[in-house]
Amino acid sequence: MQSEVFNGKRFFTYFKYDLMQTLRIHVKAAILIGFAGVIYYLLGIGFNAIVGLVRDSHGVWQAPDFRGRIVIFVIASIALELYQIRTYGYITNRRKGSAWLMIPASAFEKWFSMILMTLVVIPVAFIVTYAGTDALLSIVDPTYGKMLLGSAIEVVDQFQTNLALANEEYTTTWSLGFMVVPYLVGFCCNFLYFLCCGVTFKRHKLLYAFLVLFGISIVGSMISTWLGLQSTVELDDFAEAEQFIRHMINVITVYTGIFAILLAGGIFYRIKTLKH
Amino acid sequence: MISVKDLSFSYGSKRVLNNITMELKGGNIYGLLGENGVGKTTLLTLLCGLKKPQTGVIETDGRHPFDRQPSLLAEQFYLPDEVSGLHIKAIDFGKEQGALWPKFDLNKYLTVLLEFEVDSLQRMDSMSTGQLKKTWIAFALACNARYYYMDEPTNGLDIPSKAQFRKAIMKYTCEESAIVISTHQVRDLEEIIDPIIILDKEQVLLNASLETITQKLFFDYGSTIKADALYLENTPSGAIQVYPNTTGEESKVNLEALFNAVHSHKDIVKALFQ
Repeated sequence: MQSEVFNGKRFFTYFKYDLMQTLRIHVKAAILIGFAGVIYYLLGIGFNAIVGLVRDSHGVWQAPDFRGRIVIFVIASIALELYQIRTYGYITNRRKGSAWLMIPASAFEKWFSMILMTLVVIPVAFIVTYAGTDALLSIVDPTYGKMLLGSAIEVVDQFQTNLALANEEYTTTWSLGFMVVPYLVGFCCNFLYFLCCGVTFKRHKLLYAFLVLFGISIVGSMISTWLGLQSTVELDDFAEAEQFIRHMINVITVYTGIFAILLAGGIFYRIKTLKH
Repeated sequence: MISVKDLSFSYGSKRVLNNITMELKGGNIYGLLGENGVGKTTLLTLLCGLKKPQTGVIETDGRHPFDRQPSLLAEQFYLPDEVSGLHIKAIDFGKEQGALWPKFDLNKYLTVLLEFEVDSLQRMDSMSTGQLKKTWIAFALACNARYYYMDEPTNGLDIPSKAQFRKAIMKYTCEESAIVISTHQVRDLEEIIDPIIILDKEQVLLNASLETITQKLFFDYGSTIKADALYLENTPSGAIQVYPNTTGEESKVNLEALFNAVHSHKDIVKALFQ
């Protein structure tokens, strides 16, 4: 007798179906957002060429500057986060949601597949597209500069060098791994937050998502201010300050992780109790 | 078997179903009739597990539909009044979605589509309302489910399609299937539905087989007007009267006349069928 909660064969069948739906719509959207860097590059090339022509009658082939590229990457990442509100938002629609709820798979299987699509499939499609086109442009256009990923590693190295220069007693290392973990946890939390809003609110999903976020920010600010006032930490030297910052990053990462787990649990609860 | 016991459901302060008790057995096509807003769709969605009973219990073969256990979901199919058109061809829809139902039969799906004169290579979002409905009906029948809940299945179908639907229901559902069809279009389905469930505000007015109905009520298509008729309607071809069957004589049930008779004499009819 098959388990009513999780069955490997049934999950695989459902996952395959869900993947097909995701590939058909949401992966396409993620790839489109992943082309943001290329679009910015083309606009930058065109703009620089026109400015050059107007200024001294000579077109200039110049890729956009590095800072602009980082800003575009951040904007594209935020757009992808916001997009999560759409991926499974249809389940609150009576017509589409009813059909989805009646699919013979357990709530856990549907939830697990949803999490995999949101945290793995869609982001990977975006990152591969963005990093791929970024690498390609850095190879074919000498004015483009370095790849974003390579530059990120360099930034971490530079950060460590600066710390060492600023303080001779500096001993700890800010490894890439240490800096990536909080980023990944934060990314999971953000994606799950917008996914949760998408499956919770029936209409005006984005508006309500921002209103709730606003509320959370206010409460968070109040708590952190209160904690700050209660704090008796005295930082005597650079090494202590650096250790304190590391500690705070760890604490924030743990709390963000807990919040992400709560969000994932909330999404499961919503699926389990959804009515149409 | 579906067992409904003391089922109640409200939308806010508006009570729709109140202490409903009934049993639905396999091998029947139940016709669920009622005026707008009496809770037909609500009852269907409760039966299939899209809603949770506020009080009372629904059990389908001993399982609670709202638990939405995969084993039960695989044995039932809910066809809503309005269906959605996906951005894929009908054949791909069958292949992809059908894989989720263990007993799905792709050949059956394609056969029913062919009988419904729906092009399996047409994209669903470019289909007309009727074609889309027929695609979903074909899909539902190909799932080989044990329990079907169909909300206004003939809405949007043209006249030939309604006949095709009746034929398909008779031909492609298992003998032990329990099918519950909610409809206002009683004439479309009166040849296939039996028993009849008539819902009124908060209650079931009638839940009886056609055989029982003809034992209790007589449908007179003659021109002699009876004084004790529960319902009388004059038509161009004569009159239809419904009155208590005191002689045991058999007659052909006219669902519209039955519905109107039940509605205009609720207490008498309820007493007759108790």
